[in-house]
Amino acid sequence: MNAPPPGNSIHTTPTGGEGDLTLVGIVRRFGLVTALAGIDLAVRKGEMLTILGPSGSGKTTLLKVVAGFETPDEGDVLLGTRAITFATPAKRDIGMVFQNYALFPHMTVAQNIAFPLEMRKVAKAEAAKRVDDVLNLVDLGGLGDRLPRQLSGGQQQRAALARAIVFGPRLLLLDEPFGALDRKLREQMQLEVRRLQQHLGLTALFVTHDQEEALILSDRIAVMDRGRIVQLGTPQEIYRHPVNRFVAGFIGESNLFQARVASGGYAVLDGGARFRLPASAPPEGTEVGLLLRPERPRRLANGAAAENSFAGSVVEVVYLGETVKYRIRLDPGFEIIVRWPFQSSGGSPGKNERVTVGWNGDDLHLVQWS
Amino acid sequence: MAFLLAFYLVPVGLLLLQSVEGGSLAAYDKALTDGLYVGVLLDTMLIAAYVSIVCLLLGYPVAYFLAAAPAPWPTVGIIFVLLPFWTSILVRTYGWMILLGRNGIINRLLLESGLISAPFPLLNNMTGVLIGMVHVLLPYMVFPIYAVMRRVDTGLVSAAEGLGAPGWQIFRRVYFPLTLPGVLAGVTLVYILSIGFFITPALLGGGKVIMIAVLIEMQVRQFLNWSFAAALSAVLLAATLLVYLVLRRLFRSDLQWS
Repeated sequence: MNAPPPGNSIHTTPTGGEGDLTLVGIVRRFGLVTALAGIDLAVRKGEMLTILGPSGSGKTTLLKVVAGFETPDEGDVLLGTRAITFATPAKRDIGMVFQNYALFPHMTVAQNIAFPLEMRKVAKAEAAKRVDDVLNLVDLGGLGDRLPRQLSGGQQQRAALARAIVFGPRLLLLDEPFGALDRKLREQMQLEVRRLQQHLGLTALFVTHDQEEALILSDRIAVMDRGRIVQLGTPQEIYRHPVNRFVAGFIGESNLFQARVASGGYAVLDGGARFRLPASAPPEGTEVGLLLRPERPRRLANGAAAENSFAGSVVEVVYLGETVKYRIRLDPGFEIIVRWPFQSSGGSPGKNERVTVGWNGDDLHLVQWS
Repeated sequence: MAFLLAFYLVPVGLLLLQSVEGGSLAAYDKALTDGLYVGVLLDTMLIAAYVSIVCLLLGYPVAYFLAAAPAPWPTVGIIFVLLPFWTSILVRTYGWMILLGRNGIINRLLLESGLISAPFPLLNNMTGVLIGMVHVLLPYMVFPIYAVMRRVDTGLVSAAEGLGAPGWQIFRRVYFPLTLPGVLAGVTLVYILSIGFFITPALLGGGKVIMIAVLIEMQVRQFLNWSFAAALSAVLLAATLLVYLVLRRLFRSDLQWS
């Protein structure tokens, strides 16, 4: 383990009062690459907080710092009020569910789950009882004698979860745990994990690159980009009010336009098209990003009006069941994606059909462009 | 299959026929009841056990080094393990004779430095045979273990650590059990090769350490007792198969996951 960098001892003593897990100014560099460029984060007690970011954003390094597999160059990690920055993983009191579950293949499910208890020298009878309880909790009752490879993917996932929570850890870490499951099972497991986490009041830090998963599971989401947390908020806040182009593009489907604010509450796009802006528009001349979620534009019937309306033709139609996704080339020379409910009696436009699309200024959301 | 039949099964069949020459089991009777020959068989199995244990104790850390060290050390290490492997066994055995003899390099160094006053008996005894055999057979232990270690998921080690296991518990409960298939393969290989070893015990044992292969050779070359030699060979073959089955049986429950 690295010795603490000089000056670390006079580092602002973190209070640790606000969260169960508190990260203070975490910096981690690999050679010239800065993987974590100053992370401050507090995970509240009983909360499921998701670290969301693309690969290379630093989320995995952050997880390793919390778990103890990496030591930060600067900053502190606190569990409650206890600094664990330099503690070994074994001494952290953190339960972790790994990406591929990391169940010990040579032990039965029950032995796997008993492992952390055994390492904590829990008496045999007590351990057996707790293993039984947790097996029932994750719906694996009666499967304790199986080997991991004799379980299905979903069952392995539950076993891994059981092993991570059986010793009553202070914090639960989930490292992309649903990646290996097929879609249907994944959705089911996500809800089960969420239910269990809420039922037990576990404080959990969940790392994923899957924005949909993050929106479903989280109390709050921290979006990471290039080693920084660029936005922290509830799923709704993140979806509705992304702070910049990166978050807007990463969360959900979106139409993003680069524009310059002009006079009279309008903005001008690169191609010359003009958009009516929301009421809270920035001063004239500002470069802004305009975010238009695909479900916001309406199809305008003859005579209907909207603050922004454009005619165009449908380029692509994708059926998604209840809704249909259209790519529409608008006449000023740009394309947008829209999602409308499917209408059976010929109400949904076909490919190459001419349509008029409209939306109001308030449907647009302003984001930082750079 | 045809190759196996022509060059293995047929000779073995002929050998077995020869061992019951004239329809009598006298040769077997002698091999299995005469204290002298039973003693040699037991000695052989004991020596093979020593060799296997020493090879395991030396080979396991070497295999771990090869599997875990950062580049370029694994490559360098593999070359060092393979180099003696590619050298003729005769050359290596004579090499050990030069090193271990009464006037050998080791004894002379120790004598001249004043550490000992009389030469250590390193050659023409059990010590010499063990050293020579371990040297020859070590790669057969290292490579199977190395192959298994390479496939051990390091995520499991991290998981054990994260679940609160200290270093030696990680080794005892997770890493070692996961490498057990390699250990078993290495031990089986070395043990079976040891039982039938000839050149090294013949040369380094100096006629004092008689292993069963040496005994068989004596029967053929000195006593021309082909029938008895064949019977001893059959016993050796049976012992080898038995050991293999016993080892497999012994570790079956530990390996059912693999």
